[in-house]
Amino acid sequence: MMLTQDKAIDLFVATKIGSFKHIKYHSDATKNSKKCIENLVDIKSLQKDDGITCMAWGNPQQTEILVAKKNQEIQVYDTEQGFTKTYTADFGTGHVVGLGRYKRRLIAALSGGVVKVWSKKQEQLIEVGKIDRMRMCPDDNTLFATGGEENDLKVYRIGEPEPTFTAKNLPHDWLQLRRPIWVTDLTFLPNEGGHLLAACSRHGYVRLYDTRAQRRPVCNVEFTMAATCIAPSFDERQVLVGFGRGQLHQVDLRIGRPDKGYKGSAGAITDVVAVPVGQDGRLVVSTSLDRQIRVHQYESKELLYKQYLTSKLTSVLVQTESSTPLRSAPDVKEEADALAVEADAVAVEDDMDELFDNMETVSEKPRKKPSELAEEDQKAKRAKTEGSTDEDAIFHLLRSTEKQKRKREKKKKEKKAKSVFHNA
Amino acid sequence: MARGKDKKKRKLEKKQEGDDVPKKVPHTLESLREKDETMLVNADEEEQEEAQKDMELDELSSYYQNSYEPKVLITFSDNPHSKTRIFGKELTRIIPNSISRYRQRSSVKRIIQSAIREDVTDVIIVNENQKQPNGFLLIHLPDGPTAHFRLSSCKITPELRKDHKEITTHRPEVILNNFSTRLGLTVGRMLGALFHYEPQFRGRRAVTFHNQRDYIFFRHHRYEFTKDGKRAKLLELGPRFTLKLISLQQGTFDSKRGDYEWIIAGRRHQLETSRRKFFL
Repeated sequence: MMLTQDKAIDLFVATKIGSFKHIKYHSDATKNSKKCIENLVDIKSLQKDDGITCMAWGNPQQTEILVAKKNQEIQVYDTEQGFTKTYTADFGTGHVVGLGRYKRRLIAALSGGVVKVWSKKQEQLIEVGKIDRMRMCPDDNTLFATGGEENDLKVYRIGEPEPTFTAKNLPHDWLQLRRPIWVTDLTFLPNEGGHLLAACSRHGYVRLYDTRAQRRPVCNVEFTMAATCIAPSFDERQVLVGFGRGQLHQVDLRIGRPDKGYKGSAGAITDVVAVPVGQDGRLVVSTSLDRQIRVHQYESKELLYKQYLTSKLTSVLVQTESSTPLRSAPDVKEEADALAVEADAVAVEDDMDELFDNMETVSEKPRKKPSELAEEDQKAKRAKTEGSTDEDAIFHLLRSTEKQKRKREKKKKEKKAKSVFHNA
Repeated sequence: MARGKDKKKRKLEKKQEGDDVPKKVPHTLESLREKDETMLVNADEEEQEEAQKDMELDELSSYYQNSYEPKVLITFSDNPHSKTRIFGKELTRIIPNSISRYRQRSSVKRIIQSAIREDVTDVIIVNENQKQPNGFLLIHLPDGPTAHFRLSSCKITPELRKDHKEITTHRPEVILNNFSTRLGLTVGRMLGALFHYEPQFRGRRAVTFHNQRDYIFFRHHRYEFTKDGKRAKLLELGPRFTLKLISLQQGTFDSKRGDYEWIIAGRRHQLETSRRKFFL
């Protein structure tokens, strides 16, 4: 429909070489162009260890982004002011795999297995073992969860050195062999108070944990491909999972099987986010190693937008709470744009009026008196009998015989399939 | 009818126009190739800069800064037959500083481990099916990428009626032709990184990887300039073979748990939208 208004979403994309981009995505496809993309880092100055490994929102208003680089440097990016602060996370080995904020404290996790909580007076170090991912709980930000290779999911509370929840592996398989563990990504499901977690693995499983119920997963879904990233979807107990061979699926953890598939990627999915737009718009934004960012429609699974961004993408953040204007757009143009938008709005209103004027009123028909209706019916019938020539009749006949033929064939096929001889 | 009738007329016109009219380019699948957004030629300045930076910072960049001499290990699938063995041996003649070894039932991951220990920079694994080499796995060490090719129409020197003694030990020149998209560039760079960065021009050997419609044709020649120095005579030395990319993987070989940069399996109908779309 033409009635849907254009909505812009801000996407922040991090890449493997260290460039950091801001894309304004318009739900009106005609407005998307290369002008909507801007670099926030000077590309010429990039070094070998500048690759961005992890990105997270710093505050619930979504105006602050925490960006971690390969050289263990953590930068704070303000969407209005640019880069403001820099921390160095040199308290262990490996690169930063998780970031978060708790009140004014900064939390960072290194893949070597150390999580550090910075506060003004004291610093706290928590040993967690080798990890691939750390995530904060959005509902209860004293909680964070970790997981890695042969290091199953653990949930910690800030201030406590011991985990509040440690996951237990599934029992041995039918050959009495231990099931290998490799948590690549995990997520807290929203609006569950931090009790429900989902984790995905390079060994191809997606598991749902309920910290109130049991240590073993509540639901386990097996795949044959390596899963790389996971994000909560729109409905409860549904997650979006990206795979190393380029598939992107929605997994329904209530019934325990994949639900929807989003096509189009030729390389591994590195990050995925589900984005609500307006009242009923639902989008799935994903980045992949083939250097493209893609936006899919959630329900219809249709590919709405795809953009080549010259370097390998590692993660994406979507700003839904607030919005950021493009830096390069000059003010004059913006004003003009604003005017244009207003004009557009007026035009749209006019359009609406016109539309409504032109619309047939639905309620008119039943209002007609029954006698009138009968008359009309008769008229129509007459018209039919008069208009219908022999050709029409023949056409109808042909059609019906065709239908019968098809039915017969179908029956035959079924019979054949059932018959013992055919199967034998 | 009409075409045939005025053919003579057109010929006459052509003659009258003379030679200064530029020759028309025939319409082929390649000349009508669909525009690819990842091609460097089409990109604007900022994008080109970023692509340059991307290439400067990738895993192959240290070779292109001439910081090391490549050392290549060539191996096969288990129990290779004679053709594959000869093919491997000929590859060692083409690629300087390379050795061919039997696999001894070792897994690819273990080969990689020991190759890294021995300072090998690239590993080539030739697969064989029905006595014909049919797979070509190229792994750059120590941390990837890994390219998997389908190998076809492989002709070894005896099949071309050539003698391997013609092949000298000079380091060859490498010609990488027609790799234009971002994926193509990576593949071309990987193939180029097999050879020593400094060719010995004395040997007059040239090794060509020519990409045409996503098929990479390999040819090996000795050249000789004519006396006026304008043209070169070519003598093919063999072997010759054709490669087609199946997948490109980030990191070293891990087909089950690895991250693919590009893979065509399972999405051919999505990706191959037209006959004029090429990926390399």
